[in-house]
Amino acid sequence: MTAPTSAPGAAADVVAGSPGRDAPADTGRPPGAQRSGAPTTAWRDRLLDARPVLVPVAAVLGALGVSTGLAALAGATPVEAATALWEGMVGTPYAIGSSLNVAAVLLLVATGFLVAHRAGLVNVGGEGQIAVGAVAATAVGTTLPPAVPAAVALPLLLLAAAFGGAAWASIAAWLAVRRGVSEVITTLLLNFVGVAVLVLSIHEEALLRQPVTSSETLPQSSPLVDSAHLPLLGLPDSPATTAVVLALAGAVAGSLVLRRTATGVRLAAVGMSRPAALRLGLPVDRLRFSALTTAGAASGVAGGVLVASVPYVLDEGLASGYGFSGLVVGLLARGSFTAAVGIATALGFLVSGGINLQLAAGVPASITQIAESLIILGVAGTAIWTVRRTARPTRTRPWRPWRRPATPDRTGTEATS
Amino acid sequence: MPTTLPPAPAAHDVQDGATAAPALALRNVTRVFGAHTALDGVDLEIAGGEVHCVLGENGAGKSTLCNIVFGSMPPTSGQVLLGGERFAPASPADALARGVAMVHQHFSLVPTLTVEENMLLGRGVRRLRPDRAGLAARLAAIAETLGLRVDLDARAEDLSVGARQRVEIVKALLDDPRILLLDEPTAVLGPEEVDSLLATCRRVAAAGTAVVLVTHKLGEVMRVGDRATVLRGGRVAGSGPLARDDAPDRPGGLGAADLVGLMVGRDASSLDPVLAASVGVVGQGPAPQGRQEAARTADRTVAQTSVRDTTDGRDAGTPPVLVVSGLCVDDADGARRVDDVDLAVRPGEIVGIAGVEGNGQSELVAALSGALRPSRGTVRLGGTDITGAGPRRRTALGLGVVPEDRHHEGVVTGLSVTTNLLLGRLRRFRRFGLLDRRAMQASAADLARRFDVRTASLDAPVSSLSGGNQQKAVLARELSLDPLRCVVAAQPTRGLDLGAVDDVVGHLRAAASAGVGVLVVSSELSELLVLCDRVHVAYRGGLRGPVPTDAPDARDRVAHLMTGAAA
Repeated sequence: MTAPTSAPGAAADVVAGSPGRDAPADTGRPPGAQRSGAPTTAWRDRLLDARPVLVPVAAVLGALGVSTGLAALAGATPVEAATALWEGMVGTPYAIGSSLNVAAVLLLVATGFLVAHRAGLVNVGGEGQIAVGAVAATAVGTTLPPAVPAAVALPLLLLAAAFGGAAWASIAAWLAVRRGVSEVITTLLLNFVGVAVLVLSIHEEALLRQPVTSSETLPQSSPLVDSAHLPLLGLPDSPATTAVVLALAGAVAGSLVLRRTATGVRLAAVGMSRPAALRLGLPVDRLRFSALTTAGAASGVAGGVLVASVPYVLDEGLASGYGFSGLVVGLLARGSFTAAVGIATALGFLVSGGINLQLAAGVPASITQIAESLIILGVAGTAIWTVRRTARPTRTRPWRPWRRPATPDRTGTEATS
Repeated sequence: MPTTLPPAPAAHDVQDGATAAPALALRNVTRVFGAHTALDGVDLEIAGGEVHCVLGENGAGKSTLCNIVFGSMPPTSGQVLLGGERFAPASPADALARGVAMVHQHFSLVPTLTVEENMLLGRGVRRLRPDRAGLAARLAAIAETLGLRVDLDARAEDLSVGARQRVEIVKALLDDPRILLLDEPTAVLGPEEVDSLLATCRRVAAAGTAVVLVTHKLGEVMRVGDRATVLRGGRVAGSGPLARDDAPDRPGGLGAADLVGLMVGRDASSLDPVLAASVGVVGQGPAPQGRQEAARTADRTVAQTSVRDTTDGRDAGTPPVLVVSGLCVDDADGARRVDDVDLAVRPGEIVGIAGVEGNGQSELVAALSGALRPSRGTVRLGGTDITGAGPRRRTALGLGVVPEDRHHEGVVTGLSVTTNLLLGRLRRFRRFGLLDRRAMQASAADLARRFDVRTASLDAPVSSLSGGNQQKAVLARELSLDPLRCVVAAQPTRGLDLGAVDDVVGHLRAAASAGVGVLVVSSELSELLVLCDRVHVAYRGGLRGPVPTDAPDARDRVAHLMTGAAA
């Protein structure tokens, strides 16, 4: 036995389900996970069992190494770059607060993604849904009379944002359910339309553009009424808003629904086998439609949160990649909300660290983007190594003397009869 | 893989082969998958010119054995010898080049290519033009020595299943292999095609090639095999020459009863008649006591339902529970798949639908289960018209469906056993909006116990269960409906091992004796003849018959109908 894949417990891992999906709520742990190996292979087994942690960490370190090299090319020494990154991530309460705000937005998008993904739908449309959600939120936030108390204004704003995102996603959902069009295509393409809707609405005074008083009036909305601003968490010197609480609550709620309710189990059934779900009389179309619109609503709320945070206006750069980063969080989390919280936080810190890298160390913005992309690619690309491959064992070739057929009359060079 | 075609067969010398090393020998071969040992110290010798049958239930290690010999996976330990030389193919192409050919259970022809193109596929890749002349010469030689002829210009998708398999066999023979492996070759064939295949096996063996027939059907083994090896749980349970009907000069050979004993590890005479029929021991229709035996089996397994006298429910006077009249189903292309079918199932009655697959059975079941909308005709369940009803309403009215494709439709393989058992009735387990795990566990445990679903844990995904236990889980779900008036079971025993067939059949009978109408669609004629009261035959979308199974010539009449002849 030379192949590492022949280690005990490997078959049980395969049985436990596909690597790309977290085991559904009630299946518990893989049956072979706790089986101990023979004494001689115990240390290797333990190492192999630690792969889900070791591999991503190695991937992140590798990506950071490459990025440090790139930063050095741009003139920043590794020490300078690392210091700037660290300062930007956790150096000040301000840095931590803005990191958490970014993480909250990513987590909202990722939560929606996970809900849709449980039903077998991939929502690539976070970007567009954020944009439309933000437009809806702005429409509410700028038109409410200032006298409305925050306890009414904020929920109204977030509700409008959720409704906007859900409405946007419902286009793709309807096409997927009724016409069988792949939601990957439709949600992706609707991103461009959604962002265009945002741009249009802040360029037209008839829509959301602030009153044009001079040629220098920026194409953005008027500021939201005060009562529609998201309150800060109240941490000293920290810009962290209640969006963090909102996002965490959303993740908990999503986790609870998917794991503990009949709806969650039905969504999982639909996601894993539509024919079986149909056979059992589950409302497959309705479940898929609502899963994707829920994802849209979550992204829409993310858009609302963005508008209701500093500087409280809707401008062109609002969505700027949050949708796709949230999608990445959802993909990397592989069905687990706990993982989503962790990954969103890590990514959030990295994003604000990257900003400081530009400001303090003078590293071009493109390099921090490359670094982020490398980390994501590294983690996603090495994910396959975090699970034990057993479906098709690695072929061992101790020796292979038969480059040609053994019997002389089988050389196959003659074709006569 | 040779780059061109080899010369005509040099007709391996059979006499020499007897004294020389065996064509293929396995020495103490073991294959381990994680904690599971699929093959455990298997020794096997196959001589040139013999038909060697490898028998075993599902999971006995037959496929693993094939995969090792054909180079799809290496053995964990042990040696494979080909013609006395050590043989460790790194890939199927490697195995082919060394003279080991395999015909898989599922065909590997490209449907849109012609037979000739399929045969040329993958060979001569380094040449500019395919070697058509060489192929023609080789085919002529095969036709001459083996009498196997194929139509080179036909498109693969236009061929019948039997003809397609013949193409596969000829394709495998092109390289003049020393060993031809056939994996469950009769699973998809009608009775006549099986005969022709078995004759082919004999002719190929007579030309000196060793033929390895992997199967679980004893009837075929007894008809063509020279020797047999029985696998059970990854070990060789026994092997030896067979006592063939046409070769009574081998009195010491293994008989059918011996083989069954080796396969299931118990005496053949203790087997349920359906079980015996499914492996081909009993070739004829049910003996009178077969029915009694059946009733006894039903009583044994019927503990969960009130037992009614089995004869009561089958009274001709009882109004049927399921009535299908003038049913037509068209596929997406507008082709008629089910053509004017009339059918009635009375309470307590087991009605069978036999026929070679692809004669509209799947579409009929889909229309009955609500997956397909019929274009004409009606389906009535207990007097209610359910022609246009969805699956949920049908279930509520008491229609249980055991789907044909277990993995696709029967279960959600990634979800736990508990969830699968209760997926259709989650509503009952809601408490404060959340699912009551404990109540679900209890309910699932009860179902699993009643239907003998064996699993390490009810929280384990269904994919970790054996095929038999998966099917039992499906039965547990469908037969525990309340109310239950009719069960439609499509290929309920397909791919199951003998013990599971026993259980499945027992549960269906128990349902029938509790007054439920049972409709069984199966391609296993022997099983239907023993299990059912009447057997219809599906042919080109229509239903022929019915043939009452207690008629002495029932088997012949059904087989006759399967060829398309009028009743």
